[in-house]
Amino acid sequence: AGLELLSDQGYRVDGRRAGELRKIQARMGVFAQADGSAYIEQGNTKALAVVYGPHEIRGSRARALPDRALVNCQYSSATFSTGERKRRPHGDRKSCEMGLQLRQTFEAAILTQLHPRSQIDIYVQVLQADGGTYAACVNAATLAVLDAGIPMRDFVCACSAGFVDGTALADLSHVEEAAGGPQLALALLPASGQIALLEMDARLHEDHLEQVLEAAARASRDVHTVLDRVVRQHVQEASVLLGD
Amino acid sequence: MLQKREKVLLLRTFHGRTLRIVREHYLRPSVPCNSPLCPQPATCHNDGKLLSSDVTHYMVPDWKVVQDYLEILEFPELKGIVFMQTACQAVQHQRGRRQYNKLRNLLKDARHDCVLFANEFQQSCYLPRERGESMEKWQSRSIYNAAAWYYHHCQDRMPIVMVTEDEEAIQQYGSETGGVFVISFKNYLDNFWPDLKAAHELCESILQSRRERENESQESHGKEYPEHVPLEVLEAGIKSGRYIQGTLNVNKHRAQIEAFVRLQGASSKDSDLVSDVLIHGMKARNRSIHGDVVVVELLPKSEWKGRTTALGENDGDDKALGESPSEPMPTGRVVGILQKNWRDYVVTFPSIEEVQSQGKNAQKILVTPWDYRIPKIRISTQQAEALQDFRVVVRIDSWESTSMYPNGHFVRVLGRIGDLEGEIATILVENSISVVPFSEAQMCEMPVNTPENPWKVSSQEEREREDLRKTHLVFSIDPSGCEDVDDTLSVRALDNGNLELGVHIADVTHFVAPHSYIDIEARTRATTYYLADRRYDMLPAILSADVCSLLGGVDRYAVSVMWELDKTSYEIKKVWYGRTIIRSAYKLFYEAAQDLLDGNFSVVKDIPEFKDLDEKSRQAKLEELVWAIRKLTDIARHIRAKRDSCGALELEGVEVRIQLDEKKNIHDLIPKQPLEVHETVAECMILANHWVAKKIWESFPHQALLRRHPPPHQEFFSELRECAKAKGFFIDTRSNKALADSLDNANDPNDPIVNKLLRSMATQAMSNALYFSTGSCAEEEFHHYGLALDKYTHFTSPIRRYSDIIVHRLLMAAISKDKKMEIQENLFSNKDLEELCRHINNRNRAAQHSQKQSTELFQCMYFKDKDPETEERCISDGVIYSIRTNGVLVFIPRFGIKGAAYLRNKDGLVVSCGPDGHSEWKPGSLQRFQNKITCTTTGGESVTFHLFDHVTVRISVQTSRCHSDTIRLEIISNKPHMTPDTELLQQCSLLLKSDLVKEVTRSVEEAQLAQEVAVNITEDYQKYCQTKGRSLYTLLEEIRDLALLDVSNSYGI
Repeated sequence: AGLELLSDQGYRVDGRRAGELRKIQARMGVFAQADGSAYIEQGNTKALAVVYGPHEIRGSRARALPDRALVNCQYSSATFSTGERKRRPHGDRKSCEMGLQLRQTFEAAILTQLHPRSQIDIYVQVLQADGGTYAACVNAATLAVLDAGIPMRDFVCACSAGFVDGTALADLSHVEEAAGGPQLALALLPASGQIALLEMDARLHEDHLEQVLEAAARASRDVHTVLDRVVRQHVQEASVLLGD
Repeated sequence: MLQKREKVLLLRTFHGRTLRIVREHYLRPSVPCNSPLCPQPATCHNDGKLLSSDVTHYMVPDWKVVQDYLEILEFPELKGIVFMQTACQAVQHQRGRRQYNKLRNLLKDARHDCVLFANEFQQSCYLPRERGESMEKWQSRSIYNAAAWYYHHCQDRMPIVMVTEDEEAIQQYGSETGGVFVISFKNYLDNFWPDLKAAHELCESILQSRRERENESQESHGKEYPEHVPLEVLEAGIKSGRYIQGTLNVNKHRAQIEAFVRLQGASSKDSDLVSDVLIHGMKARNRSIHGDVVVVELLPKSEWKGRTTALGENDGDDKALGESPSEPMPTGRVVGILQKNWRDYVVTFPSIEEVQSQGKNAQKILVTPWDYRIPKIRISTQQAEALQDFRVVVRIDSWESTSMYPNGHFVRVLGRIGDLEGEIATILVENSISVVPFSEAQMCEMPVNTPENPWKVSSQEEREREDLRKTHLVFSIDPSGCEDVDDTLSVRALDNGNLELGVHIADVTHFVAPHSYIDIEARTRATTYYLADRRYDMLPAILSADVCSLLGGVDRYAVSVMWELDKTSYEIKKVWYGRTIIRSAYKLFYEAAQDLLDGNFSVVKDIPEFKDLDEKSRQAKLEELVWAIRKLTDIARHIRAKRDSCGALELEGVEVRIQLDEKKNIHDLIPKQPLEVHETVAECMILANHWVAKKIWESFPHQALLRRHPPPHQEFFSELRECAKAKGFFIDTRSNKALADSLDNANDPNDPIVNKLLRSMATQAMSNALYFSTGSCAEEEFHHYGLALDKYTHFTSPIRRYSDIIVHRLLMAAISKDKKMEIQENLFSNKDLEELCRHINNRNRAAQHSQKQSTELFQCMYFKDKDPETEERCISDGVIYSIRTNGVLVFIPRFGIKGAAYLRNKDGLVVSCGPDGHSEWKPGSLQRFQNKITCTTTGGESVTFHLFDHVTVRISVQTSRCHSDTIRLEIISNKPHMTPDTELLQQCSLLLKSDLVKEVTRSVEEAQLAQEVAVNITEDYQKYCQTKGRSLYTLLEEIRDLALLDVSNSYGI
């Protein structure tokens, strides 16, 4: 008998209801030497993001773009992040793909045309993976970019959503992801409602897509509320320090 | 606000390492408690099912109780049960999906007074498991803690009884909280439900079978069957094509040896297997039971076997016959069971002699199921002797690989063997039909219509509905004596010269709200069940025979479909759907309508509506009615002709006719000659169904309920073609049109029965029509082969079919969608609808089976009391319609019986017929050809039977203790049976069928009476020590009884 992902009473395996997020805790400015940094916990998924830049292009000059900044993203996952120890922390296919997706997301959000011929580096490391790593990485990176003071159109808030028994579930945990149903990852610019990235590699009937998308968007807005509070609190703390 | 906790699990991986997994666990301040005593229902969000408020206590079963005694908790008498989530999860993890689904259905069912309390997600109920604490202890502790919390939550107003099997828990928690009692299950039943005898018996039998099983697992002797392959391996095997998945179908006539697996799912598409897979022997069947979804591994070709074509006897020694099996076919063995479809089984206990011969442990008894296809079941009970004359329901618990037979336990008694009520109950249980009388709660939802308080059209409805009472001449045509009129017709000329045809169907959904108690009940029944002598209605009589029934002269709500037709071409110009109010002017029956159509007005005096009219107005009204019927017939003819010209034709007409034939036999409803009015009415209904199907499909392309009839497999027609060839006819089966044409041509002027038999064979070869949800089928598959329509559904009989109720709701939703109104009713999603369709299809099949079985039961009871040697009626004319290696299949038109007649008996003797045609048994041999079978005696005489030969057969009944009785046929002459006037017999054969039912019923009543008298006498004898025999008192009593009976007979019914 497979696990019952959504009980008749509407509870998920971990006790949440369909639209509820996991607990989010975040801090900005965790490293002094980087331009910006942030740490986020979404349930048991923990991620660290560090931002350098904008600075001059490193390495071959040919990569420089004349009209906007180059966004460089690197994703890695700690060997101890999953239940069974991983062999390679980065450089495998999955990490490369994730890096690419992050890059697309942030190229859409950062006002790159303000810094032509320069480079912005975003490094993300997942310390513990318990489902929704992409979302956690995006959210951590957003905070780090904000911490670095790089101008953005808006927050980028990401959340995943799945589909079980005719109901859309927001913010899937590892157990729910492993069950093999469709999973959709969405990165949203909440103020305008624009989509920075939408990704799904499973079969889902198009009739249901709208419902799942709606659930993911609502969850992303909820994430935004939390991140906004974190940023405000951080700014307040920083200004208190400045005031001294 | 949610609180986050973490749970640490240690799991073992495939490689044997332990893995530490951390899972989050969120707690919330309030979860629904679903108790009416809740002080803050708003914060608890108690929006679902609530416990009833008239209970004396709440009962909280421990995890072990839920696992083991769920069947008892299913009793509707046990009220106020709070299932804790911990217990439910224990069931899910340890008892598998089947048991868990049972629990889920119980919780969903509004009729059962039980709720789930999600204690593990409640902040103050959740207890983390401590280090070193066993799972069982933790579960008991959690459940107790939750029960205590629940008690305080209800402000200590309702005592809670926690029922557990754990002695330690009783010790530990027994007196911890006042108001929360902890007792054992046995104790609970004894104290709270001393009168619920069935529950006590069930509890006993569960306990006993569990004890037995424990003993057995300790003994562990040699294995009888190979172990099943684990599920993962099965699934991988199915995907890779190594295994085949299918449903096990046991051959009824050779239940010990032959079973077939009908392929299903992906495996049937890509493998090159066309036929079913044969499973030969019990060993290869490996503990699977008829109906299970099994996984099969094919054997190498050298071990393939053929199926047997001889007529088998269920208990006869088949091998002695030495018949040659047919071509080898794919043969396999079962390696695993994906889904067990165990249900309740009716069984018979062996008689005392057999019990003694079974020997050593008398407590375990092998009982024989009524259904031949089910293996014997091992029951442990002390009551074997008391139960041996009864039909009994049992359930199967388990089937270990060490045991030859499955283990089961006794559930309840149905009735005496051979007793009419008991046998009918057996048929119902075997078909999983449950027809308890409608409950109080269900009847409360019903409208009232009594002479004091008549039902009236409400003014609100009057405003919302189209009123057709003044404008339309509405009438119904039904079989005479029909109570539930669900369809009426109307036709009239419009001002622009066009015609308006209307079909008005009873508006059942107005009275049956979705998800009301009555709706749930109707959904479970899904259809009205017609047995030979009775029927079980889907809806209570107040609806089906009164308020919903479109009777003549009263106002009724209806759902109408109205078409505007061109005045000459009858082209459909417009169609209108909607709710209406109608008043049916005439309730005609078929014969009367036909007479009116033919211009024979002598029937007018039989029509009650014309009685109290003076001559003039009667004439005017009559003319109006006759015009309407004529017009209607004309329109129907046109629509039909159009369908025919499109290459379409209705084949189901044939099927329907046969079904009606059966019904007629039982109810004496439909006259033998199909009248044109029948077709007119049927055509209008088909038109309405078709248009409604189109409408709901357009509005809800993914969740409309339609009916499809898949085209038949050509190979099933081979028998039909062979048979027809024997008579010199050619049957073309390539398309539905060709088939019907060639069937029409295959008519032997000398023998009308030939055509009838060929048609019934064609019907049998066809697949059944099915309900389905449009979202789960490609559009090409919607086609209805029989009616040759692209879309079809059932809309016209909501009183006796649940599918029509769904269609009505869909149509109403489609109408409000058109009007851009909010759709009030939440419709079924595709998945739910598909599930429901499966259920309805299933129930329809059960209805058909039970109808057939009950007819057979009555046939047997009818012939049982007759002495086959002397009684004239037991000898009859029969037609051979199929040839087997050791006998022939014979159809007896007079009684509508089909049966097998052996040409070789158990001693190896064959039938031989003398010159005068009379047959006797002689030693000899049989030779089977394609269309004939020849018996040759050692003396050199031979007799040959051809297909469609008429023979004389003697009908007798083979009684059977454990199974249903069967009709036996014996060929006594190879000449047709001669009766002085066959004509007369032909005519009265119709009546005979209903007479048969009546006669059997009467004799049963008499037998009961006699029995009661007998009991009385013996009682009196014991009580007063009177002389054995009839005292004057009892004689007088009996005379008085008879007198009462007479009166009731002359007045009643």
